[in-house]
Amino acid sequence: MRNLVNFIVKNIHWLLFFVLLSISVLLINQNNQFQRSKYLSAARELTGNIHSVTNELHSYLNLKTENEALTAKISKLETEVFFYQRLLDTMKDSTQTTSLVLEANSELIYRFLPAKIVNNSVSNIENYMTLNKGSDDGIQADMGVLTGRGAVAGVVVLTSPHFSEVISVLNPKFKLSCKIKKNNYIGPLVWDGKDSRYTYLTELPRHVDFAIGDTIVTSGYSAIFPAGIPVGSIVSAKKQRDDNYTSIKVKLYADLNKLNDVVIVQNSYQQEQQDLQNNTIRP
Amino acid sequence: MLRSGIGLILLFIALVFLQVSLFDKIHIFGYATPMLSIYFIIKMPGQTNQNQVLLVSAFLGLCIDIFTGILGINMLACVVTAFNRPFFLKLFAPKDTHGAYTPSFFSFGNVMFIQFAVWMTLLHHILVFAIESFSLFDPLGLFIRIVSSVTLTVLLIAACESFHFDFGK
Repeated sequence: MRNLVNFIVKNIHWLLFFVLLSISVLLINQNNQFQRSKYLSAARELTGNIHSVTNELHSYLNLKTENEALTAKISKLETEVFFYQRLLDTMKDSTQTTSLVLEANSELIYRFLPAKIVNNSVSNIENYMTLNKGSDDGIQADMGVLTGRGAVAGVVVLTSPHFSEVISVLNPKFKLSCKIKKNNYIGPLVWDGKDSRYTYLTELPRHVDFAIGDTIVTSGYSAIFPAGIPVGSIVSAKKQRDDNYTSIKVKLYADLNKLNDVVIVQNSYQQEQQDLQNNTIRP
Repeated sequence: MLRSGIGLILLFIALVFLQVSLFDKIHIFGYATPMLSIYFIIKMPGQTNQNQVLLVSAFLGLCIDIFTGILGINMLACVVTAFNRPFFLKLFAPKDTHGAYTPSFFSFGNVMFIQFAVWMTLLHHILVFAIESFSLFDPLGLFIRIVSSVTLTVLLIAACESFHFDFGK
């Protein structure tokens, strides 16, 4: 015991040294911002490095389970994407038809079926489209075809069980009874086979009053389309050779170059109307 | 004893005053700064109690620190140097005197005293500059500063020593 005390007394300068040393270190740390920040940042860098190394090791060990989890997640998400894609398609179909259904609500004889174009041409003289719905879906010849936005695109001419052939508005054989919305003057709409953006409203009386930009709509006489379906707007007038009739250049609302989704118009009473018209003995 | 005490106190005050007012302002070529305060630690008599050496050195460093405004640096360097003083004394002091000396050219011999002074100064300066920069940002600059400052300080110590002040007697 005495030896221990002796030892401590003999080496008291060590204790004193460490006390003084710690006092000076404390003073440096307390009073010198630069040294203090250096010390702190060095300490933080050290601990940060250690942490990152252990972290990396850890992540390597977990890589396999991580991969499995990721794959599971990806497949789940893909399923979800597929599900929503289908949902979106269905919704798109219904929204395309909704406005038309609402418009035609007063005349419930018309029904609307969404369809997709599987084949389309605009550059030939006689243009036809093919749709992915056929007689199995209730499609028949002489049904009208509208674009997704509700402008006239064509008329069904032929059906198979799953497909239907549509004569496009861009076909000289296609004649549709149309009228100027403003004053109800009626004439057939005919394409001249040149520009896919424009068609002509022909056989209008010379005295017809119209302005550039007036809207052309369907007349509803043919029982294919309801009355008032927009077709295009007037661009300019062109006099015909005999001068008794006026022909109007019409810009089509339907851009058939980039048409993808269409709506087929079903008229429940079409057959009845046509039968009646055909059976009437004309004087 | 009384004389030597008064002499040491005078030396202490003179060194602190010189260090603070003169030597700290000197930066030869932007590097060399003499720190003659180490002279006091060198010049303490060989018989002095190690605790006293430590306390006085700490006080010396603290005084200089207070004046230079960077607390703790000189104090730490002085304390560490004072703590290592006995080992250097053992290396360079004459063996047969049993500590009854004051380190000087006369008592040690020129070569031994200069070596003693160089080692003490080197230790002190390394500590001061290392803590001051506290990084290895510019190791070459740090090295040049230490070497040039040690050279300058040792030259000043030799100059002082050549006046033959003997505070121990």
